[in-house]
Amino acid sequence: MSTAVKPFSSFEMAQSQFDHVAEVLDLDEGACDLLRNPLREFSFAIPTRMDDGTIKIFRGFRVQHNDARGPSKGGLRFHPMETLDMVRALAMWMTWKCAVVDIPLGGGKGGVVCDPHNLSLGEQERICRGFVRQMGRNMGPALDVPAPDVMTSAQHMLWMLDEFEAIHGSHQPGFITGKPVGIGGSQGRTEATGYGVMFTVREALRDLDIRIEGTSASFQGFGNVSQYAVRLYREMGGTPVCVSCWDQRDGTSYAYTKRSGIDVDELLTVTDRFGGINRPEAERLGYKVLPGDDWISQDVDILVPAALENQVTAENVLRVGPRVKVIAEGANGPTSPEADRVIHERGIYMIPDLLANAGGVTCSYFEQVQSNMNFYWDKDEVLGKLDAKMTSAYMSVSDLARKRGIYMREAAYLIAVDRVVRACRDRGWV
Amino acid sequence: MGNPDQPLDSILASLKERAKELACLYRIDELVGNAGALDADVFEQVVRAIPPGWQFPGICEARLTVGLDRYSTDRFNRAVATMSSPVEVENEPVGTVAVAYTEPCPESDEGPFLKEERRLIDAVAQRIGHAILRARILTTGPHLGGAPGAGDTPPHSWEVLIDFLRRTDRELLGRINRRMANHLCWSGVPSASDLLGHVPMSQGPENGDENRPAQRRRFSSEDELTRRTFALAAEHLNDTEIIACIQTWLNEEKSLFLIQTLENPDSGLAETAEALKRFRSSGVVEGDLPAAMQTTLRVALVRRYFVDQPEFINIAKDHIAISDLYEVVDRLVHPTASHGKIGGKGAGLVLAHRILRDNAGSSGLLADLRVPKTWYVASDGLLAFIHYNNLEEVYNHKYMEIERVRQEYPHIIQVFKNSQFPPEMRKGLSAALDDLPPGPIIVRSSSLLEDRSGASFAGKYKSLFLANQGTKAERLAALEDAIAEIYASVFGPDPIEYRIERGLLHFSEEMGILIQEVVGRRAGDYFFPSFAGVAFSSNEFRWSPRIKREDGLIRMVPGLGTRAVDRTGDDYPVLVSPGQPTLRVSTSARDIVRYAPRKVDVIDLERRAFSTVEAATLLRGCGDDYPGARRLISIVQPDHVSLPSALGPNWETDDFVITFEGVLSQTPFMKQMREMLGVLREGLGTDVDIEFAHDGEHLYLVQCRAQSRSTEYAPAAIPRDIPHNRLLFSASRHISNGRVPNITHIVYVDPEAYANLGSYRELKDVAHAVGRLNSLLPKRQFILLGPGRWGSRGDIKLGVSVTYSDISNAAMLLEIARASGSYVPELSFGTHFFQDMVEAGIRYLPLYPDEPPGMLNETFLKSSRNILPSLVPEHQDLGATVRVIDVQAETGGNILRVLMNADLEEAVGFLARPERDETSVQEAAWIETGSQEEHWRWRLQMAERIAARIDAPAFGIKQLYLIGSVKNATAGPGSDIDLLVHDAGDAEQRSRLRLWLDGVSLALAEINYLRTGYETEGLLDPHYVTDEDIANKTSFAAKIGAVTDAARRLTLGRNSALDPPARPGPA
Repeated sequence: MSTAVKPFSSFEMAQSQFDHVAEVLDLDEGACDLLRNPLREFSFAIPTRMDDGTIKIFRGFRVQHNDARGPSKGGLRFHPMETLDMVRALAMWMTWKCAVVDIPLGGGKGGVVCDPHNLSLGEQERICRGFVRQMGRNMGPALDVPAPDVMTSAQHMLWMLDEFEAIHGSHQPGFITGKPVGIGGSQGRTEATGYGVMFTVREALRDLDIRIEGTSASFQGFGNVSQYAVRLYREMGGTPVCVSCWDQRDGTSYAYTKRSGIDVDELLTVTDRFGGINRPEAERLGYKVLPGDDWISQDVDILVPAALENQVTAENVLRVGPRVKVIAEGANGPTSPEADRVIHERGIYMIPDLLANAGGVTCSYFEQVQSNMNFYWDKDEVLGKLDAKMTSAYMSVSDLARKRGIYMREAAYLIAVDRVVRACRDRGWV
Repeated sequence: MGNPDQPLDSILASLKERAKELACLYRIDELVGNAGALDADVFEQVVRAIPPGWQFPGICEARLTVGLDRYSTDRFNRAVATMSSPVEVENEPVGTVAVAYTEPCPESDEGPFLKEERRLIDAVAQRIGHAILRARILTTGPHLGGAPGAGDTPPHSWEVLIDFLRRTDRELLGRINRRMANHLCWSGVPSASDLLGHVPMSQGPENGDENRPAQRRRFSSEDELTRRTFALAAEHLNDTEIIACIQTWLNEEKSLFLIQTLENPDSGLAETAEALKRFRSSGVVEGDLPAAMQTTLRVALVRRYFVDQPEFINIAKDHIAISDLYEVVDRLVHPTASHGKIGGKGAGLVLAHRILRDNAGSSGLLADLRVPKTWYVASDGLLAFIHYNNLEEVYNHKYMEIERVRQEYPHIIQVFKNSQFPPEMRKGLSAALDDLPPGPIIVRSSSLLEDRSGASFAGKYKSLFLANQGTKAERLAALEDAIAEIYASVFGPDPIEYRIERGLLHFSEEMGILIQEVVGRRAGDYFFPSFAGVAFSSNEFRWSPRIKREDGLIRMVPGLGTRAVDRTGDDYPVLVSPGQPTLRVSTSARDIVRYAPRKVDVIDLERRAFSTVEAATLLRGCGDDYPGARRLISIVQPDHVSLPSALGPNWETDDFVITFEGVLSQTPFMKQMREMLGVLREGLGTDVDIEFAHDGEHLYLVQCRAQSRSTEYAPAAIPRDIPHNRLLFSASRHISNGRVPNITHIVYVDPEAYANLGSYRELKDVAHAVGRLNSLLPKRQFILLGPGRWGSRGDIKLGVSVTYSDISNAAMLLEIARASGSYVPELSFGTHFFQDMVEAGIRYLPLYPDEPPGMLNETFLKSSRNILPSLVPEHQDLGATVRVIDVQAETGGNILRVLMNADLEEAVGFLARPERDETSVQEAAWIETGSQEEHWRWRLQMAERIAARIDAPAFGIKQLYLIGSVKNATAGPGSDIDLLVHDAGDAEQRSRLRLWLDGVSLALAEINYLRTGYETEGLLDPHYVTDEDIANKTSFAAKIGAVTDAARRLTLGRNSALDPPARPGPA
């Protein structure tokens, strides 16, 4: 290494985060050692016949970080140069996430080193099947449950499921999640994350003794998460006044505001599939168009960053309006550590990503439950159960935060880690 | 030979088609020779045997009069033209043989009859005379001897032929005899040389002296010679061989007239067409002619009808048969006395179709390939049109100043459109409309210069779509209007400039026209093909290392192919490589949707116009009528896209996107395209560029030409003598063709430093910094050089996580694959924004510096001054990772030039003197007018004049600066002048200033339009900055006194306050 600085490592970052929590919880060395590293790691070759008849060997990984609370759960990605480092970090993140919403699942993650741009669908199918042939004995509804991730889709999941069921000679739709509705998928999947965010916001407002009817909110992004969050927020009586989105044509982002409240259905008529709003059309509908970054400086009670990571930064956090009382992190890691400190100091109520956007993984859990029962709920039932889960998860975190007088982000981590440690301890592992 | 009659019979039977008159004669011989008595029955049969010997047997009738008896075929009395010959017995007329046509036929030697037919009818009359004589003799007294040639069976079957010729055409017999002698001699028969003048060629003393005329030799009696020749032939050849020889020579004799007509410079299209028609009806099959004659005819025809180029003829002669011309001739509209051709585009299409037909055999994939029905207007139709309307004055146009050409062009269009077509052309066009299937047509130019290698004229002349609806008169008027417009385009400024540039100005620019049916069907109010596009046999845009150049590239769109031909800013065609049909550009559902075509070009039959509609609207409205629509789309599911179910999509409710997935994976389309590109490349000996269309059932080839090699994508010559210290990088894997000539800035992300960045935030900041640089550095004049995969998502250590908008102004993207241990990382090939890069013309190159001969001059990159801190101060802490190098400042005025040659699999980037006449990557797509120098110099001059003349105090102007392309000396013909106005005026002053500059801007735009043909709303692009902006270095103010690409200060003149608004500067 030519420089003194240590290269960035996602896993080391996740470990140091854990170390901090471990210190607060005063965990013993055994628990720390167990949880700082994955429980199991698999690395294996997937020989695959290519379309031209040659054989190519692909590298597969699966990390099961911890399954004390239940079968490991986590995505399977196709990525060139996938590294164990990244996969380990993500597997650990999954353990905490499942624990914070208190679903009986552990954390896992996996991937195949490949670039789907260089592969035909047939080759991708053979890689999926090869993955299951290698890992099948270590996975299953009661062991480890994969899901779609970067560059993998429902189609990949179905190929894997089919191979798994062929090996076992029985139907086991609970082996995998992310399946289309009708072939073992769950209703409510698209709504889950956005609704989940709003369930926690609703509870937060109740805690803060603020009537939702009198509030207004600004959202960054207008994708799946935002669209459903805005919809539910409005249904609950709030007034969404601003959404921002990326404008592909102009190569910049814009914020669209309407003081009287955004009507999602109306706005969706001028929105493309990626949540890109047609600017001239929106103007025609009476929306005011502002620079994209202005979503953060709106005079509102609630901010929902639901687009990308690292959006609330040291630079723009000062623009957060004086009226803002709640920030709910719909995206993963939208707040930089520096900005987080500012928010904490200002006493704005933060609903951290670990908790706020856990609606997605909760719904995956419901999918698995339904698959195992081979009985599928209607959408209202799914969303009702989601509400219950999210609400009780929120309660635990906010109770702890209140009791200990700590920041919500920290409380969420503490609860998650504590639940996992307890499970390990109950099992006599540590 | 078992039965000598048998082969003769069969040969004569086949002769029936080829030498009909012989068959006719033989039949008559048979009838009158074999019959015991000459009764009415025999004569009835004789008259029926006569018509098949004539050119148009279908309308041919015959009548025989013997004494008072008449025998005739059924409709002889409807004759419109007759010929007859007396039947004589011992020189006394006893009757007549008459032949008649019942319908008018083209004029020939004797009325509608050929001179051969005169001989035939005479021979028939003679035969009948002989037969009557013999019958008389037989009845009066036997054994008095037979008539010559009748009665005794010849010992050899071919002797019938020889005998016939002896009696009918001694001249022809002589030539056949000579040929047989030659044939024998050539076949190595020793004594045959005696037949050729009795003296062996090598012996005669006269042969040794080239200055003395050769002595004339008298041939011995022709009959004697013939007897000897054929006696010798009989010794060495069997009957079949001899008859085959005679047949071939007879065919050749019969086809000579065609060569005579084609090679006669006086004969025009009308004459050659007539000759072809005659050849066609002669029944001679091309394959029966000797090879040399076939070639002669083919070459003559190709030259006559297609183009003159030796390269084209050389290939065409192997594929285009004489019979292929029949169709062309039948559909050729031309003025009287025309000597025109059908031009390059038409010829290219006919040739391509023939090559494909000749090679369609093995796989059967191309058996169903079609070419749209096409009519042609001969190239000199333009001249006739001009002459007919007394418009000769336009010929002077091409020698006028280009400004004048441009000024007068709109006028010429109107004059042409208001002119009349000569009546014969009008008639031809009307016939074309009747013959073409009802429905839209496209009128294309097919100039003689167009599509020549090196002068593609791509897009220089017009192609016009016509809805072809309404009454015949309306349709004809629209067609004439379109042709007139295309004729006028010959005198348009763009083609003339292009010709000046290519040194083609003085060629006579005749212009052929193609009138083609538009492939497609009607759905709703619209007419369009299911899908269409362009395909290239060489792929210069590969999105995966698994794709090879020869795998080819297809750009396909729904509806008319116009959107695939041009790059459209707002839409994407689907790109596929027929050699790697399973590797798609977009693999994630999101990318598939993002890069899907959204618009469709169609012909609106109601409005009778070409128009563009939204694909979704069109499919929702008439998806069930849209040909093959099911195969064009995929259904978008929340997490993936899939083919529609067998019950078909519900056009109303389903969320669909155009992917062509069904076409690609469920039809043989990709195999057909691959086969087609391969066969054409092989056949034409060059990479090809074709246009195709598909109507849902059949694939159509619409156009074919050599893959245009604009300098932008031509293989660049790689210099061998680049000094080592000036070489920045070299590469030898996955190279495309092309050049990126004038790079002024390099953005280098150091792979090692990037890998060692300590935090996620710093990694993200690198992307931000690149995005900032993208907006600051001069467009298309900088390259991005970085580790691994540009645009990485997820694990961003693999490469800088930019989006397309962060790199949109770069000229080129380079990825460095540094080996770590034995492991070389996979590069992205720009996949994250591949289609955006293709449409914007941003080039891509992978570098493998650890694999010789690949190299990367890190010393230069790391030791040059890094101007990042001064450009993007907020990211100066990234200085060790992101290095921005001002190449000119660093190397004393040099620039970086990148040359790529895929044929050699080599690419280099090296420091060199700038080439002023070359254009930046994007602008190279345009055909430039004159040198680049001129454009920026003129703009600079104009900017200086403005500064000199503007009443600065009155407008409150403190200073004027120049920025952008004019300042950088890179302005092209379409560039505007970026002025930076530092003003301190009040609102009123500012609004007056805007008004004044607007006026100047419009005036300059008009002058620029006349100079270059680029239409702009205005030529000035003023940016206003205030003292405050300058103090804060915000937006454009940052350019004033900037470290790189600084604004250039213009000298303000002394106040000419008298009338500033009226004097925008000299024109």
